[in-house]
Amino acid sequence: MNGAITVPAVDRTPKAKWALPSALWPWLLLLPAFLSLGSVSFYPIVNGVYLSFTNRSLITQDNDFVGLANYAQLLADPPFWNAWWHTIWFTAVSTVLETLIGLAMALILCETFAGRGIVRAAMLVPWAMPTVVTSKMFGWLFDGQHGIINFILLHLGLIDQNVNWYGSPDTALTTIILADVWKTTPFMALLLLTGLQTVPKSLIEAARMDGAKAWIIFWNIRLPLLLPTLLIAGLFRALDAFRVFDLVYVLTGGGPADSTETLSTLSYKVLFSTLQFGYGSAVSTAMFITEGLIAVVFCLFLIRQIRKTT
Amino acid sequence: MSDIKKTPASSTAAGFSTMLDRRQLLLGAVGAATLGVASGFGMRPTRAADRTEISFASASFFGKEGLGDLVKAYNESQDRIMVKFIELPPPSSSTEVYQGLVQQLARRNGTPDVFTQDVVWIAGFASAGWALPLDQYFPKEKRGDYFPGTVAACTYDEKLTALPWFVDSGMFYYRKDLVEKHGGKVPETWDDMATMAAAAQKAGDAKFGYLWQGKQAEVLICDAVEVITSNGGSILSADGKSSVIGDKAAVEAIQFLYDTINKTKISPQNVLSWDEEPSRQPFTSGEAMFMRNWSYVYPIAQDPKASHVVDKVAVAPLPHFAGGKSSACLGGYQLGVNANSKKREAAIEFLIWMSSPETQTRLALNFGLAPSRPAIFQDAKLKAEQPFMASLQNVFTGATPRPITPQYAKVTLALQSSISKALVSGNVQAELKAAAEQINKIIA
Repeated sequence: MNGAITVPAVDRTPKAKWALPSALWPWLLLLPAFLSLGSVSFYPIVNGVYLSFTNRSLITQDNDFVGLANYAQLLADPPFWNAWWHTIWFTAVSTVLETLIGLAMALILCETFAGRGIVRAAMLVPWAMPTVVTSKMFGWLFDGQHGIINFILLHLGLIDQNVNWYGSPDTALTTIILADVWKTTPFMALLLLTGLQTVPKSLIEAARMDGAKAWIIFWNIRLPLLLPTLLIAGLFRALDAFRVFDLVYVLTGGGPADSTETLSTLSYKVLFSTLQFGYGSAVSTAMFITEGLIAVVFCLFLIRQIRKTT
Repeated sequence: MSDIKKTPASSTAAGFSTMLDRRQLLLGAVGAATLGVASGFGMRPTRAADRTEISFASASFFGKEGLGDLVKAYNESQDRIMVKFIELPPPSSSTEVYQGLVQQLARRNGTPDVFTQDVVWIAGFASAGWALPLDQYFPKEKRGDYFPGTVAACTYDEKLTALPWFVDSGMFYYRKDLVEKHGGKVPETWDDMATMAAAAQKAGDAKFGYLWQGKQAEVLICDAVEVITSNGGSILSADGKSSVIGDKAAVEAIQFLYDTINKTKISPQNVLSWDEEPSRQPFTSGEAMFMRNWSYVYPIAQDPKASHVVDKVAVAPLPHFAGGKSSACLGGYQLGVNANSKKREAAIEFLIWMSSPETQTRLALNFGLAPSRPAIFQDAKLKAEQPFMASLQNVFTGATPRPITPQYAKVTLALQSSISKALVSGNVQAELKAAAEQINKIIA
């Protein structure tokens, strides 16, 4: 092992021939990332949009270009609009509730109190749980026969007979929203907490010295400075809520009477049950477009806010 | 081969097969010696490479043994064909099984040569040109060995495109003790059933009278097919070209289901969110008098670890409407051959073996899957080991297939939505009329 290897003198000049202009290096190094992103993210999107202009079906073997026919069918399709409204409703209600409750939680966690570290960590447990587990848990909590929610409400006298939460169109979607709020509010609280901590302490101290009440400090100092964070957190949440699939799939499968059908579950059914890849792609593209619109609305508010503060 | 080895060595022939695997492994080095071993077991010295290799894709069924063991047994039984098992998810994930099959069949490259399929996929696979018509191999006189409903379900466009493998169907579970107490005779009509169930509920003997599955899911269509057919109705017309679910017979039938929740109150509101398992649990815990479910419930109901009603449960054909005939929705799996298979003869030979009385008996004994051949129900061993199956023969005989159409996937989604709406709102006639129109558009 020792001493037997002699390192031959390397002529370093050829290497210089291979040297790239330094401006190209960053691009070269980024290339693998671009390629992998392109293949797993960009290509499927483009292909999905392309498929939405065809009548591709695995069963009938059709694969012709049909232009906007799928979209025309989509706009006249009651199940699509049914799912679209449910998705918008789900997104709006869950995002608003999660933002408000999350803000309240963040304001509490911002204060110094004994055991704050533990509370902050414990708070994240619902968010860290797999959604399927949350779904099953809520399935049992709100079970129409043996669920503890019915038990409690009955004993409090708020209802006089068991409510069939997931089996009735009046309550099914609301119950799914509750599950989502329970699961994702901690995530909002976490984002808003970091936002609150960027508000300079000196400003709050100064206001306190001037005798401002807590809610005035909140309304006039904390909230305006928190607004960009609120908008970004809201955007994240809204985009995520718009894709809701697992909660619905596990709890109701879209029923009863289509009352919990969302765009994700609808496109899943069209794509993978009926194998209409063309029409199903049109549904997912419509979903993509709606998400884009939601993002644009949030961004417009955000830009206005940033302009105002700078 | 690797697929076969993966299965647990629970087969009775496990030791035997290890020998076979080893024989193939060592072939190059100590060929002669191992051939001696093999022939000692009665194997002819044929090399694996000389055998026609075919692939077999199936949802994974298991009981005392798995499908891998069955395939292994076939491979050992003869020396010309070698079957490679492609294991798909269990049948409880039937959507995933369907997707797995479609992706492979749509490639049209001949793999898998043989596959198993749920009854409702047959028409779709046949119309896509993926399933080989089997008429020349199984002429009409041979089909008489099977339950007529299963042969009907395997026939698309007047061609036999699948072969019955095992059968399951909806059935009527009842509590013997409660029936004894409230009239003594198992109800034959829905009205009698409702009256008895209500009486038992009133007497405090059962919390629920009748349990069924009303969740907006495939099982709802099975429940619906049963009540509709038991009133002489149907979802599609006899020629399969239009829907008759808006007609009086079907409307009355779905109205009956609605009434079980809202009028006679023999079923809880909850059935609207229940599929098989949630409806099974209250029954086996002794809270219900009657239930519609599949054959899988029977062994659970008789298992003291899972059931409070051991020895108190029996099965019968589902009730029917006055003037109608009992109907059970056909389930179970069927065998098919890939139309693009390059090894057609070998595939057919394997098919014959898989659907043979011997293999079906083995499926019944070791997997708990009921034979699609009525004759096997007379088997003494089967009667001794799986006594409940013999009592189910009547139920299976008349099992009705769900609509046979290549557009089934679309039809079932439309039906699930409409029937769920009808059951929730009570606007049965309007919803079913709308369903009929929608289905007419789909199958046009």
